[in-house]
Amino acid sequence: MIFESFRLRHLLLRQWRNRPGRALATALSVAVAVGAVVATWVSADASRIGYRRLTEALDGTPSIDISARAGGRFDVGKLPKLADISGVRAVVPLFFRPTLLRVGEKRVREIAVGVDAQTLAETGLLKLTSGTACVGPDETVLGAALAEGLGKSVGDEVLFFARRGVRRLTVTGIADPASLRWFADGAGVVVDIQALEQMSNALGLVDRVRVALEPNASRPDVLEAAGQRLPETLVAEIPAGRASMAEDVLHSADLGLDFVTGLTVAMAWFIVGNAMLMNVTERRRSLSLVRVLGASAGQIRGFITIEAALLGTLGALVGAGLGLAAARPISAGISRALQAPFSEMVVEPLIVPLAVLMGTLVAIAAAWWPAREAAQIDPLEGLSQAPAPANNQVSWRLLGAAFALWAFAALMLLLVLAERVPPRAAVPAGIAMLLSFVALTPLILPLLARGCACLVPRRFALEGRLALEQILRQPVRTALTTGVLVVAVSNGIGLGHAIRDNVDDVLGWYARMMRADWFLTHAGMVATGQAHAQGSLEAEADLRELSGIARIEVIGIAMGKVAGGAGVIVARDMPDDAPLPLAPVGMEESAVRAALARGEAVAGTVLARRAGIKAGDDVSVEVFGRKTSVRVAALVVDYTSGGASLVMRRDTAKRLFGLESADVLLVTAAEGQADALRAALEKIADRRGMLLRSAVDVRKFIDGIVGGVVGSLWAILGLGFAVGSLGVANTVTMNVLEKKHTIGLLRAVGMTSRQVTAMVVLESLLLGASGAIIGLVSGLVTALFIQWASQPLLGHPIRASFRPSVVVANLLAAVVVTGLAAWLPARRAATIDLLEAVSAE
Amino acid sequence: MTDPILRAVHVEKTFAPPQHGGAGVQAVRSVDLEVQRGEFVALTGSSGSGKSTLLHMLGGITRPTAGSVWLEGVDLAALDDAKLAVLRRRRIGFVFQRYNLLPELSLEENVALPLVLDGVAGTAASAAARVALEKVGMAHRASHSPDALSGGEQQRGAIARALVAAPALVLADEPTGALDSVNSRLVVELLHRLVEEQGQTVVLVTHDPGIAAAAGRAIRMADGRIVSDIVRAESRVAAGSPTP
Ligand SMILES: Nc1ncnc2c1ncn2[C@@H]1O[C@H](COP(=O)(O)OP(=O)(O)O)[C@@H](O)[C@H]1O
Ligand SMILES: [Mg+2]
Repeated sequence: MIFESFRLRHLLLRQWRNRPGRALATALSVAVAVGAVVATWVSADASRIGYRRLTEALDGTPSIDISARAGGRFDVGKLPKLADISGVRAVVPLFFRPTLLRVGEKRVREIAVGVDAQTLAETGLLKLTSGTACVGPDETVLGAALAEGLGKSVGDEVLFFARRGVRRLTVTGIADPASLRWFADGAGVVVDIQALEQMSNALGLVDRVRVALEPNASRPDVLEAAGQRLPETLVAEIPAGRASMAEDVLHSADLGLDFVTGLTVAMAWFIVGNAMLMNVTERRRSLSLVRVLGASAGQIRGFITIEAALLGTLGALVGAGLGLAAARPISAGISRALQAPFSEMVVEPLIVPLAVLMGTLVAIAAAWWPAREAAQIDPLEGLSQAPAPANNQVSWRLLGAAFALWAFAALMLLLVLAERVPPRAAVPAGIAMLLSFVALTPLILPLLARGCACLVPRRFALEGRLALEQILRQPVRTALTTGVLVVAVSNGIGLGHAIRDNVDDVLGWYARMMRADWFLTHAGMVATGQAHAQGSLEAEADLRELSGIARIEVIGIAMGKVAGGAGVIVARDMPDDAPLPLAPVGMEESAVRAALARGEAVAGTVLARRAGIKAGDDVSVEVFGRKTSVRVAALVVDYTSGGASLVMRRDTAKRLFGLESADVLLVTAAEGQADALRAALEKIADRRGMLLRSAVDVRKFIDGIVGGVVGSLWAILGLGFAVGSLGVANTVTMNVLEKKHTIGLLRAVGMTSRQVTAMVVLESLLLGASGAIIGLVSGLVTALFIQWASQPLLGHPIRASFRPSVVVANLLAAVVVTGLAAWLPARRAATIDLLEAVSAE
Repeated sequence: MTDPILRAVHVEKTFAPPQHGGAGVQAVRSVDLEVQRGEFVALTGSSGSGKSTLLHMLGGITRPTAGSVWLEGVDLAALDDAKLAVLRRRRIGFVFQRYNLLPELSLEENVALPLVLDGVAGTAASAAARVALEKVGMAHRASHSPDALSGGEQQRGAIARALVAAPALVLADEPTGALDSVNSRLVVELLHRLVEEQGQTVVLVTHDPGIAAAAGRAIRMADGRIVSDIVRAESRVAAGSPTP
């Protein structure tokens, strides 16, 4: 069949030469589609890399922890081999112990961490700002803050008090604070692990083993693989101490990126499908003539298929180039927004060949249907010379397809909510749901377009009427084009809402939690023992003596075990005169306050989900080796350590666990005193080795992250709109070209070229408005969908809000885009040569 | 003699040569023509002799490369594109060989089109369209789509549209070219009635000697020129009996 079709190659070449515009437009459509996919893909990757850099800057290298299920130290010899699990970068045993350092008269309580410093330095996980890693029992590396506090640098000596007496250690290096934070969890002194174990009479024992992951490894996968190898007594967990507020914002954004990429691929299908369809329908008459002259149906089919393959490949190659070119500025912009250095655009080597292959295959697949149609053209149609009959059958199968897609989406969502499948499965489900809306388009569109046409001003009644007829006459083409717009708009509205709601949720939490003018924090943030308590309590005492302070709220943070798993214990002041710094889920604030005063606790939703805690449960909590049962009064929205936290009043924590450290001090200044406090606070921070940040700084930092994430998403969504506008332009242009005779006739009976312009613009606007309305509905549903789907990630429902600004921005974009898209075809229509049009072809 | 309704002075049309070489085509060469109100003019000549081109220039569909066309004392060359469009919808009715009707609209809407384009209210326009359809005997098919009509019915619809705005001039380019003899007769009959009952002026391009013979005036073209122009004293010698 294909070979027989080759006999028609002269015809193909002739048709291309006679109407280069049509062949070019078809190839260009494929190019636009493939280009959009490549550009979105590469930009999404750029966003991901930017997000990762950002997370790394905040949290350090991603990792998992191995610890004893029963708590306490364990024998490192029991640890199976983990290094060969894919995605594991390094396995780092850690040993902690409190100690006392003496330098001259100064005595400092500190935590010492024992590691194999040299190996760690070699793998790049321990970075030194100066000097070398410590080796053997007589050397140490100090954290930069501690070294500065002690006034020590490389080559100096410090006295180290251990159970077996005093040791004199030489400082061989100063650790970079960020890299120290990754493994030391607040410790400031690094010693060789064997030396520290020996000093503690605990040779071979470790507190935990931290497993560093490759940058692109999946943490859940590694967690699962490691969990399978571990003996009963050991457990693999996500480290509890990771401050992951940013990670949560980024996580939902990451889900969003997957979504956008998937939708762009869907959109590309529509565009290519439409181009192929138009490419054939426009030639119905000449094809039917070829049939009259003796071509078989198979030959026609082969002819169309060969053409699709050629145009598809050509377009895909051009598109890959266009996409890469477009991705460069977008990626650079995203990197800038995320404050990540843009060194070199990273292009996954497979993207380009994959995209080209996809373009070609989709072109061939998309040509299949019109090829079949073309093969079935009645030879008489060409002879009778009547205009091609309108293609008016909208299959009820579409309705079935829509429902099938919808059912699939709903089922997946339920599975995600029930945590039977990972949250990522929500992405194909969400795309299926959106496609169900697109499938419904041919059914809804006539109604919608008619409705929209009623809004056309009376002076353009006739133009509107003709435009409407034009739209309704080509339901398949119209639906495919509208589909592109529906995707663009619902993308924008859905993601716009979901991302903004997520961000607002996090920001709202942050504002509740961190309402103060100044923040004093320990570099390490998390207490591993009681060593911190001393220094931070002194800082608190210093603060209490200052004047000009309205309120001091103290937060103590300790790692511990809650219901057998890792959890973070947050102990904080909850003054009666200030609003409760918590957002309880389904419980009155006053009731929560009363329960907390009784000595109960509240659990973060993520912790509650992970450990199966419900409000009213008594759970076992272990901190600093003390184990007791605590009643959980309510669940709260919390992002401390990704929500894996148990929050209680500070007096409760002190009574139950002796936890009284002051890791974060929130200082609210008296009316108008905020700036005046700076000098005094800086002094205290210096003296106690703490970090001082102002509310303004913190806000700026967070706004920066949020702005970057939101900006990067908008950039990619904008790309979708640009592609959508090209799709509309292509369709309307084809409509105009096909209707040359009609337009010529209208002009002959007295339509002015301005009226023709109005007609074409209206056609485009009606398409745009209908697509925008369907997109609005499906976008809002998408937003809800994303929110529901991210519930298992966050552990609590995010309040979905209706955001008129997002909606208006998207609808406006759709209208502007379609208005602009009409420009070229309108000009084309207005300048159609009357003579050419009315002369019988 | 009264002022002619239509006057062509030295009109010429030369089509520019195609880009890839070849000579330009002189489709119409220096034609002078006056048509009086109420005349029925048949334009004949072999294929390619320039009939359609001349008709298009007379109707303001295309502009002459030289010379001028005056309709009811107005120089078409002086009108811009928009004014020309208004003139076409008010003063001229066109009937082409085929594809006369927009498949998107019903027959009645097609007929009402020139009025609607002119801003006539919908109800008034469709009432006028009904009247026009009545005249061509197509009122019973008013709400049908053109796709559902036979060729002859379509042409009758096109004639209804050509006369709905009561134009001064009806230009028809081989309106019977695609029709059988019965339908041809019907169509020509209708055009004649326009002249007789409404005083309209018709210029009709035809290959059919019978139709030409029935016209009050027969102009023959050859090679872009008018080669004969015969005005018969008494028109419609053999009205409505075209030879097959
Ligand atoms: N758009 C055009 N471009 C070039 N030549 C044309 C065009 N239209 C008509 N012609 C040429 O002008 C001549 C007259 O054409 P036409 O007026 O259509 O003849 P008729 O209607 O008498 O058959 C023919 O030689 C034809 O090929
Ligand atoms: Mg002709």
